[in-house]
Amino acid sequence: MAESPRIAFAQLVIGYELPPNRFTLDGATVLTYLRAVEDESSLYQDSLVPPMAVAARAMAALGEGMSLPAGAIHVSQEFEFLGTVKVGENLTSYAKVSRKVDRGKIHMLTIDLDVCKAERQSVVTGKTGFILP
Amino acid sequence: MQLANLNEGMSLPELRKLVRQESINLYAQASGDFNPIHIDEGFARQTPLGGTIAHGMLVLAYLSQFMTAAFGQGWLTGGSLNVRFKAPARPGDNITVSGKITKIEQEAGTSTVHCEVLCQNQKGEAVITGETKVKVKG
Repeated sequence: MAESPRIAFAQLVIGYELPPNRFTLDGATVLTYLRAVEDESSLYQDSLVPPMAVAARAMAALGEGMSLPAGAIHVSQEFEFLGTVKVGENLTSYAKVSRKVDRGKIHMLTIDLDVCKAERQSVVTGKTGFILP
Repeated sequence: MQLANLNEGMSLPELRKLVRQESINLYAQASGDFNPIHIDEGFARQTPLGGTIAHGMLVLAYLSQFMTAAFGQGWLTGGSLNVRFKAPARPGDNITVSGKITKIEQEAGTSTVHCEVLCQNQKGEAVITGETKVKVKG
C-alpha cells in the first residue's frame, strides 16, 4: 500500500486533521515495550496493554502524518486514560491541530490526540506540544 | 492504594530507573519512533546534544509506571497527566520518579487525587515536571 505523503509544518493550520491511523498492538510488540521500560507489573500479564504503549504508537503516527523541521522539540504532553486496551484490539488514532502560534522566530504547535476502539470509544486522549525554530 | 490511606501532602513511593541504550533501542522498536537522535550514536554525536537521548515518552512511561504502582488499575481507566519535558535523559542516567499528593477532591462514590510529580536525574536536574490526577473509589 502506498504511504500517504506527510504534510509539512508550514501547511498545518488550526483544525487540520491528520489521516486517521489504524493499528493493533500484538503480543510481541507489547512484550518489547515492557522490556524497554522494564515494567513487570502483574496488570499486564493477562493481555492488558499499558496505556503508554498505546500513547507511544499514537505519537509515532503523528510523525508518519506530518513533517516538522529539524530542531522541533517535544515540550509538553497531556494524556487522559479512559479505558483499557487488550492485546490485538483494533485501534484508530485521530490527530488534529488545535493551536499554532508564531512569535517571531519561535513557533508553537499543539496537536490533539484521540485513540479509539471500535465505534469511536476513546481510550486515550491527549495534547502534544512542540516548539519549533 | 485505598482512599482511606491517602492524605494531602503524602509522598508516593519513589521509582528508580537506569536509562540504557538497549532500552532506548527496544523502545524505538515498540513505538515505531526510529529518530536517529535516539538510536544512532554516530549521528547523535554530531548534533548539539552530543550523543543519543532517550525518547521523552520513554521517561514518561516511567512516570505512568510510578502512578500504576501507587494506584493500580485505577490509573489505567481514570488517570491523567499534564507534564513538561525539561531536559533530555541520556544512556547511563539514573532517573528517580517521585510525587506527592497535593489535593484530594471528595466526590460521591469516587474521589480525585491530584499529585505533583517529578522525574529527575542523578544530578538532581528535572527531566519531567508536572501534575497527575487519578480517580479513586471511595
